[in-house]
Amino acid sequence: MALYHNQPMAHAQEPTAAPIEHRFNPYSDNGGSILAIAGTDFSVIAGDTRQSEGYNIQTRYARKVWQLTDKAVLATNGFAADGNNFVKRVKQRLEWYEHAHHKPMGLKSIARMIQTMLYGKRFFPYYVYNILGGIEEDGSGAVYSFDPVGSYEREACRAAGAAQSLIQPFLDNQIYFKNQQPEPGSQPFIPGNLPLATVLSLVVDSFTSATERHIEVGDGMEIYIVMARDRTTDDLLGEGKLQKGMEIEELGTLGEGQGERTFLVRQALKRD
Amino acid sequence: MSGPGSGGAYSFSLTTFSPSGKLVQIEHALAAVSGGTTSLGIKATNGIVLATEKKSPSLLIDPSALEKVAPICPNIGFVYSGMGPDFRILVAKARKIAQAYWKVYGEYPPTKVLVQEVAGVMQKATQSGGVRPYGISLLIAGWDSHRNQSLWQIDPSGSYWAWKASAIGKNMVNAKTFLEKRYNDELSLEDAIHTALLTLKEGFEGQMTEQTIEIGVITVPTPEQMEEKSGERLPPTFRKLSENEVRDYLSL
Amino acid sequence: MENNGGSVVAMIGKDCVAIASDLRLGNQAVGIASNFDKVFPVNDKLYYGLPGLATDVYTLKEHLRFRVNMYRMKEEREITPKTFTHLVSSTLYEKRFGPFFIEPVVAGLPTPTELDPHPKPFISTMDTIGCVTTPKDFAVAGTAADKLYGVAEGLWEPDLEPEDLFETVSQTLLNAVDRDALSGWGAVVHIITHDKVITRTLRARMD
Repeated sequence: MALYHNQPMAHAQEPTAAPIEHRFNPYSDNGGSILAIAGTDFSVIAGDTRQSEGYNIQTRYARKVWQLTDKAVLATNGFAADGNNFVKRVKQRLEWYEHAHHKPMGLKSIARMIQTMLYGKRFFPYYVYNILGGIEEDGSGAVYSFDPVGSYEREACRAAGAAQSLIQPFLDNQIYFKNQQPEPGSQPFIPGNLPLATVLSLVVDSFTSATERHIEVGDGMEIYIVMARDRTTDDLLGEGKLQKGMEIEELGTLGEGQGERTFLVRQALKRD
Repeated sequence: MSGPGSGGAYSFSLTTFSPSGKLVQIEHALAAVSGGTTSLGIKATNGIVLATEKKSPSLLIDPSALEKVAPICPNIGFVYSGMGPDFRILVAKARKIAQAYWKVYGEYPPTKVLVQEVAGVMQKATQSGGVRPYGISLLIAGWDSHRNQSLWQIDPSGSYWAWKASAIGKNMVNAKTFLEKRYNDELSLEDAIHTALLTLKEGFEGQMTEQTIEIGVITVPTPEQMEEKSGERLPPTFRKLSENEVRDYLSL
Repeated sequence: MENNGGSVVAMIGKDCVAIASDLRLGNQAVGIASNFDKVFPVNDKLYYGLPGLATDVYTLKEHLRFRVNMYRMKEEREITPKTFTHLVSSTLYEKRFGPFFIEPVVAGLPTPTELDPHPKPFISTMDTIGCVTTPKDFAVAGTAADKLYGVAEGLWEPDLEPEDLFETVSQTLLNAVDRDALSGWGAVVHIITHDKVITRTLRARMD
């Protein structure tokens, strides 16, 4: 017995130093990308339609861009479940606002409300990057971008999501004219007043580029265009104004309508 | 003095010069080469031919198993005169050198580079302890994009140089004289092959058949052949002629 | 990569190639030097860039200088871009299990030969252990690689003349490194053409 004074294999019964943890992770990343660009009297908000988890494509058509009011469109990106739920709550708050005040909420008020809603969940955040685009009270095109806990700012353009790092420097160059100088004697560049046609082709180029180099981006693209009241639509609806493969529809007014018009342009992206 | 019937005290120790400045073992190695069967090479405008006499010591030997012309890599081939076993060692080393080069540069060595490396191997055998020089001379034909086709000779001493046409082995003196008369700078590969056969025929012992000679050729590739198509290998520029091809040339 | 920062981009044009890099040397987030060249010449038709760990930049550069000089003497010719790529690749793979933390980019114009009188401009890039890719458009590497991909994909087009290629590669690099905290602090561009190499140092954001 002395031989087995120290029990052989004693370590096999020994408890491990720390308990084995099984923690539930409430978040996931569903890929995709969104972007928005403001013009003087319009705003363009776009996103791709692929939804993925890891290397799996969950669907080739999932919305990330939502019409909120006649002059506000919201794009969400990140954790899709949170995104969808957040949009639902924003819409609910907008409805309550209309009941209480008998008018739709203005764009900058929506922006401020989104901040409040996001920060309200500061310690269990919506894992979502939001970009809000639309027409301001003064009729100018606007873009607001948010981080998941509500920090926000008004900008001329913004990209977010999986391909943010690919698209944003391109937008810096093409929208903010970064690292560019006008020819001596010619007009200085002013960010945020490019013509609609130029903005649209930049949006398409951004997404085709991102599709080419990022696996989480592709399948399809939805571009929302919000136009200020009394603005011409010739540069969008005119003959041959849209690129090949684009389909356009006008989204009817949600409320009584004050003359702003929202259009939705769809285009296919590569599916590989 | 020391060995029976030999060159005296300097004939065995390789690393010792004789007072006259000779390394006698190397001279002996050259003697072994001169005793070997004749091999020759001719450079043409669009290629090179290597040819050699293949002599079986017995009728009962299967000559198809003897190989004197050896491909080293797709663009280079060897032929030798002298000691067969030494040749096979050098062929194995040369093939290794070519593959090592390919591993580093992604292409096969230019002819001169391979010649220098092999010459280095042969030189080392003249300066190291416990070894003897290789008992062979090599004729090396190759093609590369830098120098095009070139024909080289390496001797047991490790010296190497380039030829337009030359011969090594038993009948080399006669063969070289013959080649000097026949050679010109406008020779085509077809002409060169016929000249090679004629040269070999001078002083050939016995019947010249597809089984008693061996031929290797370099064919200069066309730009189309060198175009890289994915998934395909470049065609070899060096190849051995089959027995049928040799028979056809002999019958002409 | 993230230790010292830095990025390189190369692009193919019409009978020309461009290669450009930033000039930052950092220690994590702290900027140390704004004159740290990462692009080096092999000869006047062939340049290469070594973004990555700065100590390995020097070591690998000297190692390659040695290998190329030996090649030049042994072979009595200049090394071609393709052969040089293989040389770099096999040099990296030699250290497969203790790699150089470098992602090289090679850009060059092969010299015309009898068999190939009109060789195509050549660029290539590798991972840290020498796995080669040879793109037909552009190659990027370094801490701003993803940004470079995005901008290059948007700006590059086929058959750019040297001056247009210069503009394209410069804008690609500047706008990409401006969004990268570990790259920037100046930039240098080389345009390799058949008769000359144009080298320009760019004015860039220094923050």
